[in-house]
Amino acid sequence: MRKIRQLTLTTAMVALTMAVAAGCSGGGGSGSGAIGNGGAGSKKPVKAGGTVTIAEVGATPNFVFPLEPVTNTDGWNVNLTQPLWPALVYAGDGSQSVVNPDESLFSNITWANGDKQLTIDLKHWNWSDGQPITSRDFTFVYNLIKANASNWSNYVQGLFPDDVAGVSTPDANTVVINLTRSYNPTFYEDDVLSNIPLLPQHAWDKSSDAGPVGNLDETSAGAKAVYAYLQKEGGDMATFATNPLWQVVDGPWKLSEFRTDGYYSYVPNKQYSGPDKPVLAKVVDTPFTTDTAELNALRAGDTLDIGQLPLNDVKQASALEQNGYSVANIPVPGVAMIQPNFYNAQVGPEIQQLYVRQALEYLINRQQIVSKVYSGYADPGNGPVPLTATGPWASPLEKSGGPYPYSPSKATALLQAHGWKVVPNGTTTCQSPGTGANQCGAGITAGEGLTFQLAYSSGQASMDEQNAAIKSSEAQAGITINLHSEPFNSLIATVGACSASSHPAATCGWQLADFGYDPYPLYPAGDGFFNSTGSNNQGGYADPKMDQLINATEYGSGTSAFFAYEDYAAQQLPWLWLPNQNGLLVYRSNLQGVTPLNPFSGGLNPEMWGFTS
Amino acid sequence: MPEAGELAERRGSGRLVVSALAHNKMAIAGLCLVALMVLFCFVGPLLYPTNQVTVRLDLSELPPSGAHPLGTDASGYDVLGRLMEGGRSSLELGFAVAVATTVIGTLYGAFAGFIGGVVDALMMRVIDTFLAIPGLVLLLILVSMFTPNLLMIIVLLSLLSWLGVARLVRGEVLSLRTREFVQAARMMGGSRRRIVLRHLVPNAIGVVLVSGTFTIADAILAMSTLSFLGLGIPPPHADWGTMLSDGLNYLFDGYWWLVYPPAVILIVTVVAFNLIGDAIHDSLDARLQRP
Amino acid sequence: MTAYLVRRIGQAITVVIGVMVLTFILVHLEPGSAARATLGTRATASRIAIFDNVNGLNQPLVEQFWTYVKQVCQGNFGTSYSLQQPVSTLIAQRLPKDAVLLGLSTVLALAIAVPLGIYQAVRRNGVGDNIATVAAFVLYSMPDFFFALLLIAVFSVQLHLLPPLAPRATTVAGILADPRALVLPVVTLTLVSVSGYSRYMRSSAIDALAQEYLRVVRAKGLPERLVLMRHVLRNSILPIVTIVGLSAPSIVAGAVIAEEVFNYPGMGLLFFQAATSHDYPILLGSTLVVGIATVVGNLAADTAYSLLDPRIRYVST
Repeated sequence: MRKIRQLTLTTAMVALTMAVAAGCSGGGGSGSGAIGNGGAGSKKPVKAGGTVTIAEVGATPNFVFPLEPVTNTDGWNVNLTQPLWPALVYAGDGSQSVVNPDESLFSNITWANGDKQLTIDLKHWNWSDGQPITSRDFTFVYNLIKANASNWSNYVQGLFPDDVAGVSTPDANTVVINLTRSYNPTFYEDDVLSNIPLLPQHAWDKSSDAGPVGNLDETSAGAKAVYAYLQKEGGDMATFATNPLWQVVDGPWKLSEFRTDGYYSYVPNKQYSGPDKPVLAKVVDTPFTTDTAELNALRAGDTLDIGQLPLNDVKQASALEQNGYSVANIPVPGVAMIQPNFYNAQVGPEIQQLYVRQALEYLINRQQIVSKVYSGYADPGNGPVPLTATGPWASPLEKSGGPYPYSPSKATALLQAHGWKVVPNGTTTCQSPGTGANQCGAGITAGEGLTFQLAYSSGQASMDEQNAAIKSSEAQAGITINLHSEPFNSLIATVGACSASSHPAATCGWQLADFGYDPYPLYPAGDGFFNSTGSNNQGGYADPKMDQLINATEYGSGTSAFFAYEDYAAQQLPWLWLPNQNGLLVYRSNLQGVTPLNPFSGGLNPEMWGFTS
Repeated sequence: MPEAGELAERRGSGRLVVSALAHNKMAIAGLCLVALMVLFCFVGPLLYPTNQVTVRLDLSELPPSGAHPLGTDASGYDVLGRLMEGGRSSLELGFAVAVATTVIGTLYGAFAGFIGGVVDALMMRVIDTFLAIPGLVLLLILVSMFTPNLLMIIVLLSLLSWLGVARLVRGEVLSLRTREFVQAARMMGGSRRRIVLRHLVPNAIGVVLVSGTFTIADAILAMSTLSFLGLGIPPPHADWGTMLSDGLNYLFDGYWWLVYPPAVILIVTVVAFNLIGDAIHDSLDARLQRP
Repeated sequence: MTAYLVRRIGQAITVVIGVMVLTFILVHLEPGSAARATLGTRATASRIAIFDNVNGLNQPLVEQFWTYVKQVCQGNFGTSYSLQQPVSTLIAQRLPKDAVLLGLSTVLALAIAVPLGIYQAVRRNGVGDNIATVAAFVLYSMPDFFFALLLIAVFSVQLHLLPPLAPRATTVAGILADPRALVLPVVTLTLVSVSGYSRYMRSSAIDALAQEYLRVVRAKGLPERLVLMRHVLRNSILPIVTIVGLSAPSIVAGAVIAEEVFNYPGMGLLFFQAATSHDYPILLGSTLVVGIATVVGNLAADTAYSLLDPRIRYVST
């Protein structure tokens, strides 16, 4: 099985950045609050020049070479590199969940041979040193990745480059890739090719600073040497802005300063070939350790042009607007969840019962959490796919509220129907153990209660409020939730992947875990999340039918296949669905072009921005 | 490490402390405030019962009214009731840490000081080692090792704060040990136990009392720092520090009832304990100056 | 005296070794794996294996400790897992920032606390003394994050007088070149530490005032101001000097709350982030640096004290 989730790690972190550090742009916005999504508005004339300062909260890049080693999962590096070396397929166009035709490096992709062969026509663009971008730049990337796949952080076994039978370049602007199997073109373009940049072979195909540029990448040993050299240079933070290697770019920006504390700035790439040429003279990304400090800077109002507004502080929006800012509400493409551990020694047998998961989900008052905890600025979390943030992929079932709208009475009835004595606000116990249809189920003993520990990451008041609310509402059916909070990295350090074949007590002691949310790439596939070998399937959920439905969404096309998978996942509850909070983006009111913002892009596309004159 | 006050000679015992306190206006104020807080937190809930367990999002962030004299917080808890509930755990935390710290520190310090020699040197190196690691780092590592609940935080804060007490007590015992009356008792053949109980403990008790009182205050403050750093105890637990650090989200939103009540009550309580501790300290100091 | 020094240095080395052993044990006692904390929730078994192999975490603990000791002896503190930079570089970047911030606020705190303490001692139990006592305790009792945010609310957000962020610069000169931005963090740290110093100063000035010989001095007709300046101040400042010496290591350990609120990433945040993300090299390296600073500080303070104060004898300590 392939694990798309690994591949989309980069995408994942892009979206995370957006939500954490800047917010994201999107369509209509599900928020019931007063803040809209900004929208394009009427275009006013902009003046050339000006500097924009963006607050980056907790987002410090540390690697500039776009292909990271597996030991570096900083996650923010893509924010740094995407404006320099955009992906072949550029995901997201304004608030539209589509491929961006202007920023992408291809002009056309055609599929043939039963969707086993694709032909990519590259645009006739130039590198910043004036050299043309050619199909050789693609084979350079392919050769590097092929020889070093095991040390490429976006590598997923079975997927690119494993699934490539051959690459040919009939001319300087055409790449033909033959794959080992048929794919859904939407999946392959949106989720695979959107993670692959083009790199300047004419400048980087060498293994030392002084070494001559040649065709080293054409042998495996040469490709390894080149990769090792670029990796070494790519990690030397002191020289990010001065190393001549990194000045050869094909994106709209060039790196002009980089400090090791995470402060960096861009200036326009004067040779940029795309239509959206930068108007601003400079873009500065300034690091913040916490959103408290960032919010204070916004309130004081003189240092930042772009920042985020934590949802807890949504009431500050009007004060910020008086300070000359605008606030946009941006749905985040992702899924928020509680992951249940199907193989925890204590509660695994209970979690494996679908009716228990259903009862748990019925007791989460998602609508109320959206309106009260998130002031309306959140996706309701009716199933695995958000309603607006990933475009057309939300099914009718999800749009109608999902299979498990809040209902304590249904939860109670479900438990009673399976042999539990329900004691509201007390302790519900199993009265009729056994595996019959009206009994508690395998591994559940008489007198056993329903008590779960829910671990979540600390430091965010809204997470405390949300999980305290869940604890309270679950108690209505006599289910006890004990809350346990830790800083995010401490939390994930203790949550191991558990499965039927491997669930050591040391790393599978967790029962329910709320990490926040997992971001989606452009095509919100379930691979990696819910398939039995998914790398982000920590709890060990395994269902052959789910695997088959997920495969169908990636190998074959069509919305009906996707909806079939989506509705099945929504009903089976491999995870418990939660509301997914939106991003609130704060930007200077006289800065035009910030919204509608692309939620899939790490660099926020400042080439679209300009101060109105 | 000798400290200012302890170098000079010290006569008498902790007996004077009580009478000294009674004559110090600040100390009386402190004692009254502490008594008031204890009443508020432990008797208050009997007179003003509220539900501090069930989240009521439908009642969240209500301004003060007849039904909720200090409004409600983001989870819909009554703030006045929560101040009582939170105060109970803050005070319990403070007292528990102070008692644990004092007992461990006194025993350890007295033992080391009285035995002396290699054992003492070894015991002191252990303390030096712990003190040489930044307290917050120790606390962070320890907090992330254990599920944060009230008992655990009490244990961890005690683990960190007994070191200072042990040093103080040892210093005190060392200086007393060489004092005439202990040497006299020794010469007259007094047993070690008797010397420790009759002479050393009563004489060291003043120092211990002072540090114990300050420990209560510091533990309550430390808890608020932990909450601010996201290492506090998850809901539905409440304490003043957590209420304050959560409430700060609303500092600019006009929800004053979520910020200032926990701030005022926390500060007043910590000040009260400091006044008491300071008065005891002063009374010990004062005795030094009477020739 | 020499024997005393030799013994003290021996003790100091013992403590440093103790710090290394203790932090190593503590760090590895922390549940969960560094690989998982660093690589994230999606880390596959093979990636964890690569990570552990690269960082030597698959070796037996004793072996790892030995490797670490050897590295340290060569002046190599290792490379941070999450920040991907040498620990020595990180400390070199962060330490000067804290030295400026905490150094300035310590000096200011003393400049307030010393005269205040003497004033309180002279007016002991008077109205002024009591007001100063309560004020000092109120400042001391305010959680520093609350105090800092109040200052920001008033001076940055309401009055727009001062920036809410500490200087952005990474060099000492750069930080000092932006004095307006230093005001709020320095004031925060100064005011919360004044009370500690002024209490000490007050009680040691009371001691000094009680000295018999002052009667003689006064009887000779020396003006009271000079009595205070020449005799009381000089005699009562010694313990304060010691306290300052002892608190020097806290400069190395940083001030996590102020750093967080004012966005001034120094040693405190470095520790905090390393502790919550299982970044062993940072934890071990910075703890060792602080440990050494503490030991040296203690040694210097004790030695100075014993040189200056004849009442201390070099007994077993």
